[in-house]
Amino acid sequence: MKREKKGHSGADLTADAMSSRKYTALDFLRIPFAACPWQTALTLTNKLIKALVPSLQAAATAAFVDTALSIFQGVSPGGAIAWPLLSLILLVAFGYLSWYADSYASAKLEMKLTLTYRPAMVEKRARLRYEHIENSESWELISRTCREPVERILQGFTSIVDGASLLITVASLLCVLMAQVWWAGLLILLVSIPLFWLSLRAGQKGYEEDKKAKVYNRRADYFQEVLLGRKSAEERGLFGYESYGEKRWGEAFEKARKINLRVTMKYFIRIKSSSLLTVVVSALISVVLLYSLSQGEISTGMFIGLVSAALNLVQTMSWQLGDVMESLAKNREYMKDLTAFFALSETQDPLTVPAPMDSISFESIECRNVSFRYPGTETYILKDFNLMLKKGIHYAFVGINGAGKTTLTKLLTGLYDTFEGEILLNGRDIRSYTQAELKSLFAVVYQDFARYEVTLRENIALGDARKEREEDIRSAAEQMELSPVIDSLPKGMDTPLGKIKEGGAELSGGEWQRVAIARALYSPAQIQILDEPTAALDPTAESHLYELFGRVSAGKSTIFITHRLGAAKLADEIVVINNGKVWEKGTHEELIKAGGIYAEMFQAQRSWYE
Amino acid sequence: MSRQKKSSVAPKCAQNKSSKAERKREKLSFWKILGQGLPLILRLEPGATVVDSALSIAHGISWGVVVWSQQMFFDAASQTAAGQVPFETALWGLLLMVGCSALSQFLNGAGNFHIGAVLWPKQERGVKTMIFRKAARLSPSDFEDTEKLDYINKAIEGAQGAIQMTFIVISIATFYVPYLLFMSWYLFSLKPVLALSILLVFVPTAATQLVRAKVFAKTEDETAPLRRQAEHYESCMVGREFFKETRLWGGFTFFAKLYRETLQNIQRLKYTATMRTNRLELLMRFCTVLGYTGILLLLFDALMKQEITVGAFAAVFNSIGSLYGIMEEIVCRHIGDLSKKIGTVGNFIRFLELPEREGAQREAPGWGDIVLEHVSFSYPHSEKRAVEDVSFTLKKGQTLAVVGENGSGKSTLVRLISGLYTPTEGRVLHNSRDTRELSMQALFKGISAVFQNFQKYQLTLSENISISAPEEAPEEERLSNVCGMAGLEGYPKDGKPTEAFPEGYETMLSREFGGVDLSGGQWQRVAIARGYFRPHNTILLDEPTAAIDPYEETRLYNRFAELSKDASSVIVTHRLGSVKLADRILVMKEGRLVQEGTHEELLSQEGEYRRLYEAQKKWYEEGRGQEGFAESPAQ
Repeated sequence: MKREKKGHSGADLTADAMSSRKYTALDFLRIPFAACPWQTALTLTNKLIKALVPSLQAAATAAFVDTALSIFQGVSPGGAIAWPLLSLILLVAFGYLSWYADSYASAKLEMKLTLTYRPAMVEKRARLRYEHIENSESWELISRTCREPVERILQGFTSIVDGASLLITVASLLCVLMAQVWWAGLLILLVSIPLFWLSLRAGQKGYEEDKKAKVYNRRADYFQEVLLGRKSAEERGLFGYESYGEKRWGEAFEKARKINLRVTMKYFIRIKSSSLLTVVVSALISVVLLYSLSQGEISTGMFIGLVSAALNLVQTMSWQLGDVMESLAKNREYMKDLTAFFALSETQDPLTVPAPMDSISFESIECRNVSFRYPGTETYILKDFNLMLKKGIHYAFVGINGAGKTTLTKLLTGLYDTFEGEILLNGRDIRSYTQAELKSLFAVVYQDFARYEVTLRENIALGDARKEREEDIRSAAEQMELSPVIDSLPKGMDTPLGKIKEGGAELSGGEWQRVAIARALYSPAQIQILDEPTAALDPTAESHLYELFGRVSAGKSTIFITHRLGAAKLADEIVVINNGKVWEKGTHEELIKAGGIYAEMFQAQRSWYE
Repeated sequence: MSRQKKSSVAPKCAQNKSSKAERKREKLSFWKILGQGLPLILRLEPGATVVDSALSIAHGISWGVVVWSQQMFFDAASQTAAGQVPFETALWGLLLMVGCSALSQFLNGAGNFHIGAVLWPKQERGVKTMIFRKAARLSPSDFEDTEKLDYINKAIEGAQGAIQMTFIVISIATFYVPYLLFMSWYLFSLKPVLALSILLVFVPTAATQLVRAKVFAKTEDETAPLRRQAEHYESCMVGREFFKETRLWGGFTFFAKLYRETLQNIQRLKYTATMRTNRLELLMRFCTVLGYTGILLLLFDALMKQEITVGAFAAVFNSIGSLYGIMEEIVCRHIGDLSKKIGTVGNFIRFLELPEREGAQREAPGWGDIVLEHVSFSYPHSEKRAVEDVSFTLKKGQTLAVVGENGSGKSTLVRLISGLYTPTEGRVLHNSRDTRELSMQALFKGISAVFQNFQKYQLTLSENISISAPEEAPEEERLSNVCGMAGLEGYPKDGKPTEAFPEGYETMLSREFGGVDLSGGQWQRVAIARGYFRPHNTILLDEPTAAIDPYEETRLYNRFAELSKDASSVIVTHRLGSVKLADRILVMKEGRLVQEGTHEELLSQEGEYRRLYEAQKKWYEEGRGQEGFAESPAQ
């Protein structure tokens, strides 16, 4: 687990292409170029040439038919067909074989983007200030933006390239046409541009309605989950609300379906009107050309070549134009998201491993008039909070749910620094310490501790990311009574945990819990925080865990958050937090004597056992 | 949605996604799935299906007709150029061709629209309703059976697969076959040997796709586990449940390395496979080009021999591209999809075949004693009995407490008492009627519950409460009554909005659907209110206070006792002090009923109850703790 300085392959991408700025559709080209310049250029060139194929083919067809006719009429010798035939075949061959270069380039591009862009996105995400993770709005933005990022970029890239090549195809065909009958091209341009513009504009209104349908769809999906999910099986069975649920599902489904029907209808009308338009335009072209043909201005071959090209265009236009426009609109949305995502604020240097152990020696933490509310909310969780924590003492934080106990640990560990008032670590503003220094100070076991599906050894070793100390890992595991578990695993400490790897072993909830605590024990941090790590255990198992932890954390500073006052009374100092303030504090005896909230709560819990 | 949707774009295909494990379980044969799946779907929307087929046939033929009309037009045009026919004849030809193209485009649009916006949603509604009704007839214990649960979870995907499968089969029969028949007939009528070109087009396309499908299925098997790993490492770094912990430990670098290595492995495998099949496909494409050349030469030869006209030549030449496109679409997109979908359809069919819960008697048993006689229960695929040989009687109107450690079988016992689960051995009688023989509706009349895993419905407060008895009217008075009983903080007393519930009982309890979020404790109280709302003479409370902090807990327990005076009740808890008020206490250990009696009786005997009680009580004894945390009382 060594620290790598410039090991991220995303680094080169992060440096220039990926930063906080306004992202536009152009970035669908810029990002692939940054990741993979040669292959991107190859794709572009290839598509460009391909876009010219229809007009070249029109010319080749013209030559072929004319030559064939003149051979037929005995004007030209039979051999004259060789060149037109060859060029037709070459064009066809190019269409079929250039695909290879294209598929090579796109495979390479996907590979490079996956290895650079995706890690770069992950790294940006990991650097974010913690508030963005807990805030539901920004979290939604984050998950939306980071869902299949490579696919999104590739889709955007493809739709831009396709749009451009469609444009080139049409333009080059027009050029060929104008070279034959110059005024015909102009006429068609004049007629068709406003028509296409109109038909495309009509489509942009469908977007809002589509959003509405999505809400109903989510609603229907929710009822579906309620009707079929495992979690709701008990209540569903006993309460017998299936037909009620089915009715509600049906209502949402029908609403979504009807909106979708309208949206789809509009979509088809738009797409099909543009292809019908193309039919009309190509009919126009045909009339003009037919006239020129009858006047002898163009040859039969040229006539057939051009009309065929126009007809083929109908097919292309019928779907591609609509799809390209649609995905361009969607991709614009993505770039908006990307801009917002990269604009999210970061924590200074958040990804470091903890600083060397001797960099700080913990003496005290003091909260002076600390007030805090979560960003974007109104209610203060902590209000004028004052507390002094000293080295080598065991603290217990108690209080009802939502009193601010966990919030306080988030401030101490540097996850949030937007508090008012002062938090002084060894007498100095806590904000002036680096993340690495704070990390070296705290080890936390959360209520929702992480279950890392790596080996058991690595799970514990994460407690000290500086370097691995084999002996200490073993002893942490032993102290948490994990030895029997390790012995039962096929590869001992090196057995992967969880299901994601073959040969992985699944641990029980209690065993995972002990692994999580072993991780904290292994950490040389000077302050250990246990945030209700046992809420899901029954009281007997819980007290056993406390015994284990108590035995091994002797000599360190600990903060222990719990509801079970029986366990809290073991602390040197109990801090009762209520309404965002320190309500009372002292030893168990002092607090009982004082007869405040603590005494009352303790008595209530004790009364169960009298 | 397709049928010549994007013929100009080479379809990506044959990325067979079924993993090895899934394929192993596939025992239903292709034909059985087809034979059972098709009628299921076809029965649903016969009218729309007929409309779809008619549109599809017309559309398929229109494609052929377009080719023929092109020939007509080109012939007329070239004859005009040669001065053989008047200009108007060519114009008529043009009109014919434009009309045919427009008609074909119209049919294409109408057909695709009808499928995507009319037929599929209606079929979806039909199959989902079918699935919901089936699920309602399953026993709740089936949802704990991993194998059955797998079918339940995959039923929706499978039903959608069945719709897809039906679509593909119908498309082939009503679009592709008519089109190909028309084209063969047309080419044959021009010159018999030209009909061969259809074969020339088909063989290389089909061969490539076969190989492709094989290679990709193999790669998929190899990469699927790696992908899961990469996803896990990613969430270890940035997932919500890992974020703060990984940051505090400084674990990013560690996971970033694993992540990068895994991504590299995936990409290497994928790239190698892609390039391998691409080289093969390149070879096939050479064949295609040769075939194309062959057709061109045939056409040229026929033209020279005056067997076909210039118009026919141009029309056929123009249609070869679409012919390839369509072939690719059938083989690659549709047949490929079909083979992918067939496995999922199998899950759907198996789901529909799952055995349903027995018990047909519709008459409710009425309030009375609940008797368990030598009841044992083991979860499916488990050797161990979760509950073993338990017998007791819950007398009408009694309060019963069940205690024991985690995993001692308490919750399972409650499910057996209620009748949600039926015993694997022994009998459970409600007022002398066996729970096995009663329909669920009859059985549960008069029974209510607060479950350990209570649901947080994303519905309004009113709906969240009244969902326990959907046939009852959620009158405000009743709602207020149960909210008060459950101790819900800030509930809308007279239906008036409060700070906690800004829209009174109509407040949506879900951020996602534009409402408010509740804390865990408040949710628990909503669940208790839900339990009370349902008219009952028996109520089961399975750790009803797990999410409430201990201070509040005491108050709630006292209220439970008070409220269950007029009903039979069962309460499960591991907080021993709180069960003193029960008429009788059952002590569970490793699935067995080891002790029963009143609190006083149990305390006076040596045994599990006293052991548990002492272990918990110890924490609240005086005179401990001054030695500090490191000295715990157990030492």
